[in-house]
Parts: sequence; C-alpha cells; structure tokens
Amino acid sequence: MADKRRINGPASGTAIPIFTPSKSGAHTLQRTRKPNQLRKIYLQPGVVPTASGSAYLELESLCHPSSLLNAVPSSLKLSCVIHGPKPLPRNANFSSNLQLTINVKFAPFATRQRRGYIRDVTERDIGTHVETALCGVIVRDRWPKSAIDIIITILEAEDDVQWGSGTQQQNTVGGLGNMNVVSGCITVASAALMDAKIDCLDLITGGVAAVVPKDDGKFVHHLDPSVIEEPFLNSACVVGYMPARDEVTLVWTRGNIPSYSDGQTCRFDSLLDSAVNAAKGAHVILRQVATELAQAESTKLIIDESKT
Amino acid sequence: MSKHRIKSVALEDDYADDYYEDDEDQSGYVEEDGMTAEDQERLRVATVQARNTLGQGFTSITDKEIQDALWHYYYDISKSVSYLKNKHTPSQSKQDKTRPAKTGSQLAVHHQAVKEPNIHHLLPSTAKDFFWDSPWLNIPFHRQAEIRIEPVFPRLGLLGGSSTGEGKMSKIAALAAKRRLKEKENEKQRGAATHTSGLPEDTASGLSKLRIATSHTLYPHKEHPLRSRHDLQSASRIDQTQETPPKGDALPPSRQQGKDKRTEDNHQLNGSQSGANVADMRAKPSMFARTLMISCDTALPLSSRPPTLLPEPVISSFDFLKPSPDDIVLKAQNFKGSKTSTSSKQQKPAKAKESITNSMENLSVVEPETIKSKNLDVLAEYKKVERKNAANFVVIGHVDSGKSTLMGRLLFDLKAIDERTMQNYKEEAEKMGRGSFAFAWVLDQGTEERARGVTIDIATHKFQTERTSFTILDAPGHRDFVPNMIGGASQADFAVLVIDASPSAFEAGLRGQTKEHALLVRSMGLAKIVVAVNKMDRTDWSKERFQDIKQQMLAFLTTAGFKSENISFVPCSGLQGDNILTRSRAPQAAWYNGPTLVEELDTPEPVNHALEKPLRMTLDDTFHDSVQNPFSVSGRIEAGSLQVGDQIVVMPSGIKAFIRSIRVDDEPSDWAVAGQNVILSLSITEADFDQINIGNMLCNPAFPVENVSSFTAKVLAFDHLMPMPLDVHKGRLHIPGRISRLAAVLNKVDDSVVKKKPQVVHPGSIARIVVELDEPAPIEAGRIILRANGETVAAGHLE
Ligand SMILES: Nc1nc2c(ncn2[C@@H]2O[C@H](COP(=O)(O)OP(=O)(O)OP(=O)(O)O)[C@@H](O)[C@H]2O)c(=O)[nH]1
Ligand SMILES: [Mg+2]
Repeated sequence: MADKRRINGPASGTAIPIFTPSKSGAHTLQRTRKPNQLRKIYLQPGVVPTASGSAYLELESLCHPSSLLNAVPSSLKLSCVIHGPKPLPRNANFSSNLQLTINVKFAPFATRQRRGYIRDVTERDIGTHVETALCGVIVRDRWPKSAIDIIITILEAEDDVQWGSGTQQQNTVGGLGNMNVVSGCITVASAALMDAKIDCLDLITGGVAAVVPKDDGKFVHHLDPSVIEEPFLNSACVVGYMPARDEVTLVWTRGNIPSYSDGQTCRFDSLLDSAVNAAKGAHVILRQVATELAQAESTKLIIDESKT
Repeated sequence: MSKHRIKSVALEDDYADDYYEDDEDQSGYVEEDGMTAEDQERLRVATVQARNTLGQGFTSITDKEIQDALWHYYYDISKSVSYLKNKHTPSQSKQDKTRPAKTGSQLAVHHQAVKEPNIHHLLPSTAKDFFWDSPWLNIPFHRQAEIRIEPVFPRLGLLGGSSTGEGKMSKIAALAAKRRLKEKENEKQRGAATHTSGLPEDTASGLSKLRIATSHTLYPHKEHPLRSRHDLQSASRIDQTQETPPKGDALPPSRQQGKDKRTEDNHQLNGSQSGANVADMRAKPSMFARTLMISCDTALPLSSRPPTLLPEPVISSFDFLKPSPDDIVLKAQNFKGSKTSTSSKQQKPAKAKESITNSMENLSVVEPETIKSKNLDVLAEYKKVERKNAANFVVIGHVDSGKSTLMGRLLFDLKAIDERTMQNYKEEAEKMGRGSFAFAWVLDQGTEERARGVTIDIATHKFQTERTSFTILDAPGHRDFVPNMIGGASQADFAVLVIDASPSAFEAGLRGQTKEHALLVRSMGLAKIVVAVNKMDRTDWSKERFQDIKQQMLAFLTTAGFKSENISFVPCSGLQGDNILTRSRAPQAAWYNGPTLVEELDTPEPVNHALEKPLRMTLDDTFHDSVQNPFSVSGRIEAGSLQVGDQIVVMPSGIKAFIRSIRVDDEPSDWAVAGQNVILSLSITEADFDQINIGNMLCNPAFPVENVSSFTAKVLAFDHLMPMPLDVHKGRLHIPGRISRLAAVLNKVDDSVVKKKPQVVHPGSIARIVVELDEPAPIEAGRIILRANGETVAAGHLE
C-alpha cells in the first residue's frame, strides 16, 4: 500500500552528490571600494501592508565576476515588521512608557550554517543590542500603557566564516557578520518606525567600521567592512547613531586597538568616529527614503482630497 | 518532513540548470566579444576627426564619450557630433564634468553615458546574471519580446541624437512610438515632485527617473532594465542604421568599443558626504527583493509605486457599531409584522400585497417611531397603589472595612440570595484562595473585583423587609474609586457607614475614607446615617472598643453636620452574621441589647420625592438591551414622573427621544415616578447612540436643564482652595473645570461675608466660589462635590 502522506523518492534512485573541499583556497574578494565607501543599500519601507510599519533592507551583493556558484558571497537582507502601538493586555502591570519588544530571528536558511527555529543565544544577543539602540530614540513616554513589537527577520546574513577555506576562521576578530547584522537591524527598524509613524527623536542608523592592517605595517579604517573582503582585521565597532543630536545610543566593539610600529597608537576614538561616519552614510539614504515616503503620502492625500 | 527540507536545499543552488544555461549564453554572445584591430584604428581616427569638428566649446567631452557616440553611429562623424552637441551645450557640459550632478536626473544621464558600454561588453558569467532581471513567473516584457528571431517591422530605436525625423515609420512603429512617448510623459509627471532638472529637454530626465541608482561596479546585473532590450535589438546592425530615432530623444549611445574602460565612479560613497550623491549610495533591489515586492518595474521611483508583499485585503472588516445584517432583517420583520397586524387586518388580499410593498418602501434602518402614550395621570396612579416604602441606601466606609461582606451577609440572611448560589460562591472563592470574600462576591460581581477582593464600582441589590423595599448601593472604599462612590451616594436616601473595629484599623479608616465618605454623604444632603461597627469578632466583642469608637464617631459626625438623633450605632460582624438580622449569640456580645442592623434600617422614615417637579434623571448606565430595544438607559428618577410614549430630551447633547418601555425594579410598567430606579428603553437613531453617555441628564423637553459653562457655588472647603483646576462631581456626572474666582469667605452661621476676594480659602471654612467648566454641562441647583488630584477638596451647592 502506497504511503500517500509523504512524497516518495524516485523509484530508480539517484546518486548522492559529494562535495569535496575546494583546493583553490579561501574565496576572498579584494576590497575594491574605497576605505570610506559603503556598500550600496536598498531600503524599502511599507512592504507589509497589514503591519503598522515595515521595511526591507538589503546590501549590494559583492559578486565577483569570475565567481561561480559555490562562492557567491552572501549579502545582508533584513525585513522588519512593527505591530503597534497597541494597548497592553489588561492583566499587565501599569507602565507609563511604551513597552518595546524586539524579536530578532535568523531565517533557517539565512546563513550557510543552518539556523534553528528557536531563537538562540546569538539572536537574543543581537536583539538586546538593537533594543539598546532603539530605546534611546523612541519617545517612549508618548504612549503610556501600550506596547510595540518589532520583529526583524534576517533573511540572509554574512557568514562569520569565510566559506571555502579549509581553515575555519582567519578573521582575528569574530562576529563581524553579526555586527553588520546589528547595524542593518538598527537601520531597518528605524525605517519601519518611520513607516509606522512612531515618534522618534531622530532617524537612527547603524554603522560598522574596522581597523584593518595594511601591508606596510600601518592601519586603515574600513567603513562597512564585509567578512568576505576582510581576511584580517584588528578590531571592529558597531554604533547606533543619531546624526541630528550627534548622539550614540549603542557601541559594541570587538578586538584590540593595535599600536603602530612607530609607537603611535591608533585610538579607539577614531574607530568610533569611523563607525559614526558609516552610520551617517546610511542616514543619507534613510533620509531620502523618508522624503520619498512623505512625498508619496502627500500625493496620496491630494488624490484622496480630490476624490472627495 | 526531513526529506522535504533536504530536497529544497539541494534545489536552492540548482547546479545542473545553471551550468546548462551558462553554455547557452556563451554561444549566443560570442560574436559580440572583442573588437578587431581594424575597428580600433578606425575608431581612433574618427575620434580625432570628431573632436576637431566639435571645436573649442566642447573640450570637456571625454574621448570615451565621443567613442561611445561613434560606435553607436557606426563612425558617422556628423551624426555623432550633432548628438554630442545636443547633449553637451558648453555650459552644461562643464557642470556635468566637474561636479556630480545636482539632481537625480542629471546624475543618471551622466552615468549612463559612462557606463553602458562595459555593461554590454561583459558577458554574463553565470546563469544567475543572465536572468538577473527576470523574476520567477514574472518575466518582464522587454525580456520576453526578444525571443522572436525575425523582426517583422523596422525597429523603432530610442537611441540617437538626430533632431529631425527622417524617413518613415511603419504604422505599428508609429503607434509604438506614441505609446512610448506617453509612458515617458507619465513618467515625467510621476517624477515631477522631485524633479528640478536644468536640462533644456526633459525627456532625458524623465527617462532617467527610471533608474534610481546607477551601477558603479562591473556587475552586469546592475544594468538598466530597458537597456538590455536595446542591446539585444541592436544585435542586428543593419536594422539599426536604417531606423529613425524618435525626435527629442537624448539617450546616449549604447555601444562602445570592447575594451573595459570603466572609469572610476566620480561620486564617492563617502560616509561623511551627503546630499548630492544619495542616488549613488542606494542600491537597486536584488532579484530577491523585486520578487518580494511583486513589482517587475523596479526602476520606478519609490514614491510612485508602493510595493506590497501581500495584496491589499479585499474584505473590509465589519463595523460592529452598526446593526448587523441579522439586526436589520429582524427589525424589518418586526416592523412589517406590527404594521400588518395593526393596520391591515380587514384589508382585502389584493391590498395586503400592496401594503407589504409599501411597508418595504418605508423600510429603513431608522424606523419611524409612533409610540402610543396612554396619557395617564401618573401621580394619581401612583397614589392609587398601596406600596411599601422604598429607600435606597449607600454603604460607605474605608477600604476593606467589610462593606460588601456585611451586605452579602445581610442579603443571605434575608434569603434574597439562595443557598445554592451562596454555596457556589463559597466554593469558587475557596478555589481562588479568597474564602473570606465569599459573601462579598454577592455584590462584587466583576472578575477583577473578585480577583483583587476590592469593590470597584457601585453594585446595587434589592431586598425587602416587611415594611420597606430597599436598594443597596454598595460603594467602593478604595480612594481611587471615590468618584464611583459619589455617583452611588447621589442616588441614596441615607447611608450605612461601615467601620472596621479591629485594632488600629479604625484609626486608619478615620484618617482615610471613613472621614472622606462621611463628609461627602453629608455634603450631598443625606441626613440619616447608620454606623455599623463591623468586625467586632476581631475585638472579641469588646464593649470598651465599641464605646470608644462610638464616642469618637459621634463627635466627628456631629461636627460634620449630622444631627445626633439621625446617627445610630450597631456593633456587628459581617463575616459571622451577628447583629445583622438576628441578635448575636456570642456570650461576649451579651452586653448589647439594642436593635440589629436590619431593625435599624427599617425605622420608618418616608422620603418625600419631588414628584411634581419637571422630570430629571441622571443616567447611570447606557446599554444595548435586545434587538427590539437597542438602546436602554438606567438610573434613578430624581424629580418628576414619566410614562411610556413621553418625549424626553437628553442633555447636554439635546437629543430628543420617546420612551418605548419602562421597567421599574425589573418589572414592566407604564409609568414611573421620582425615587424609583428605572430602566428606560428609548427610541433614538443609531447615529445618536454614542451621543448619550453616563452622567447625562434626562429631562422634560418643556423644561430642560440649561447647559452651563460656569456657575457660582457655596462650598465647604476640605482643603486649601485657590484658583486651580479640579473635577466637578454631580452624581454620576463629572466634568473637568477650574475655580476661576474666589468670591468671598462666609460666616458659618448666617452666611454673612467675612472676607471679600480672599487669596486662599482655608480648610473648614465656607466660601462662595465661581467655577468654570471646560465644556458646558447640564448642572442646575443641587449638590456638587469638587475634587482635585484624587481628593475631595470641597462640597456644596449651586446658588
Ligand atoms: N474577622 C472579620 N473579618 C471581616 C468581617 N467583615 C469582613 N471581613 C473581612 O474583611 C475583608 C474585606 O471585606 P470586603 O467586604 O471586601 O470589604 P469592603 O469594605 O467591601 O472593601 P472595598 O469594597 O474594597 O472597600 C474580607 O477578607 C472579609 O472577610 C468581620 O465581621 N469580621
Ligand atoms: Mg466592597
């Protein structure tokens, strides 16, 4: 009797694909961008009409022309959905501030290492970082006794491991991929907040910068470093930054600040400044998206008015 | 399950397919790759010639641009030159070169000029690249069309710089050109908001709107969607040389020599830079994103096309304030039924049909009301009936003094609550770990009240003694709910003050709501007060404690203005039921031989209600009763009388309505008089439902209450009074307002003015003040209470 509940395999059977490790070594890309050049950002608010606010963000894919299928580097793809402000459940304690719930989840297919369906430590950690960044920007006392849920789904993320290299991790600082995710989450959440029309102090954006050693023993700051392009780096920093107030709501740094051969140290401040510059770059885009959104809204209004 | 997942992972990469497609691409494009040495030489010569022809004014044009043009025009120097001149008027070109374009449109034009060639030149290295702009199941038009091998008619090119239309287009081509122009026009309009192009010809800017961001790297998939079409079109070169480009089209040439001469992007994506180069920093959506947004024409500016992940919901949710379809049908049936039964009984069958159609025509959500009044003489009717005295009393006291428990006990003892129900309450309360609150549950019906063991809103319950029919108004003791207590007290004829006799609880109460409630009921004009000294079991029925409390309360209540003959004291225990209906059997309580609580309540004291005055009734509640009676209100008639069919007016909204039916003490009745608690069903339109609220005043339309926005009142100050914001309470009604003026401080005995225009009124003194209300409200002569910051600051009456 045929089992109708499952889809059975072909009767004849197929050969199992066997993957051998690549001999060509690690697939790294030379960074062709200038040190202070960000990857292009695609940002689109209002992608989920049923939510009160939503946005989608993706970074330009760093596709090498000669790269074949196995080494296409992943780029960041995030979607953010906001529900609320909605009243707190009746049995909840009184709260004079808006309650913020942030839920960051990797899609199971987001990284090459498959993710589970239950939120793991990394995801909760990223969530806390994003929450820290956003708490400082939302005017929370405007909504007493209410809550918003911010749900960020990471559809595609950079792997922390450079794929194809036999060795696991060349990066001296781990977690660069996660830093990029945090930065992207902040920016996309900001766009979604804007779409949801929730009062904020500013359009917050995230930015990442890294200290990268050069051949001549000097160090440069790379804005928006991507894992695939930076085989070696000394330290990396992610910030959540509000340009209009010149305020940083989140700083997360990893690695150590190197000292130059001539004794002069590369200071942490300058790394932070670079990260802030990266955030400013993202802010330019966010601001333009905001303008377009406002224009779309106003034309919609005009159309609505002319109808009535 | 696991099988599925593994399968989909394998599919994700689609190896086999991609390799296959790859081969196909290669073969298809091979001819276009590279450039012969001959071509290169020819190009070089032509470039020099073109530059000479262009002259001094156009030095800013790069070799590359010239070569672009030449390649496109197949070394036709004059055409190329005219194209370039068209594009770069001297002043324009300068700006173009030195600064990144100011506007999005200019920028885009510039980039196209620089980059198209290499885009074309590069072969798609993977199948993915080849299909980059063709999302699943949504192949864009321009990619579909090119599958045809033989062009049927001379192709219409969008390219070129010829400003005069030469040659003839076929009809179809002309039509197509027209459509394109129209599209462009639309495009322009859409982009108009952001568009501030300085170009003399706006066509280019219109077209450039198609592109938000230009690619700056060599990824072939970043090219313009329209571009690819032209590339493919121009595969047959003969066609193109013959075609006539439409007038005024300023698109740059699409072909260039084969070398990769990609110039570095002028516009740095510098983090600290801003403004002009935004377009450069924005990426175009990836194929994934475009699939997600379901919009194949992604090049449109964001503002013109809100992309959606999900289609807009088609079903609009039902507004539950409106009558449901069932309601309408039922109503219609009722209406029809009544009409036919009353009016058309003797009618002939032929006419009956007509009457039905008529009634169908008359049918509407708002049915015209015709309620027959019986025109009774209500007062005469009232006197005819022999009835028990009716009295409402409010139970007041500090929180947790046992008010609800005492009343629950009283109702249980009087068999107003049956054994079974009580048993249920006991079991459930036990389950919730609040066994001691079982009696309080008789009155505390709300889930929250039960869960917390605190009364929140007034609860009413009726019971009868031999002589009187009582209505209990169980007030909440918590200070946060004093407004509810005021609402209840305003309907009461006398008060029962419950005092917790247990050690230190009495003292706490005296500082708290025992005091506030007592003062409030007095200032609302209640004269009689019964003090139930409760929880005597806790003090082991100590006579000393009782006497002590009695003395202190007596002193306090008399200063508050109660006459000592109207004050009575009963020691009792609500939990155990002593001295409520029956005398306590506890030996320790033998010293008390006064009346029980019920006996004390039942001392006859007929209350005189203002039956003759015009109708006044404050609404206690408004609710949806049934389909037949969609809008009902409840409350106690304060003055006057009413009967079915009377017209009334609800203030402050001034909505008029007829009384459809009356229920007095849950019994249907044709009339009701002051002092009775009634439920009235009103006939009003649904639109007015939310205009009638709790606290509104129901009046006789002939003598309605005036809406006042300011009034003068004589008040007793409980706290310091100065011009300040406060809440004015009058029964159920409470409205925000403020003291606008302190007119005078008065003498307590003869109301003579002690001090005019005081700065502040001290607690305990009587003053005349002017209160302004934030919004007009139906307030006329009567008692008012003023509260601020959750505390009663003054009470008095209007002058
Ligand atoms: N020992 C004893 N406890 C009592 C007596 N009467 C009430 N209680 C207890 O006092 C507590 C409060 O009773 P409630 O009836 O809810 O008090 P309340 O005055 O209605 O409280 P609020 O409505 O919230 O102001 C309960 O736990 C009762 O069991 C009594 O006579 N003796
Ligand atoms: Mg109670």
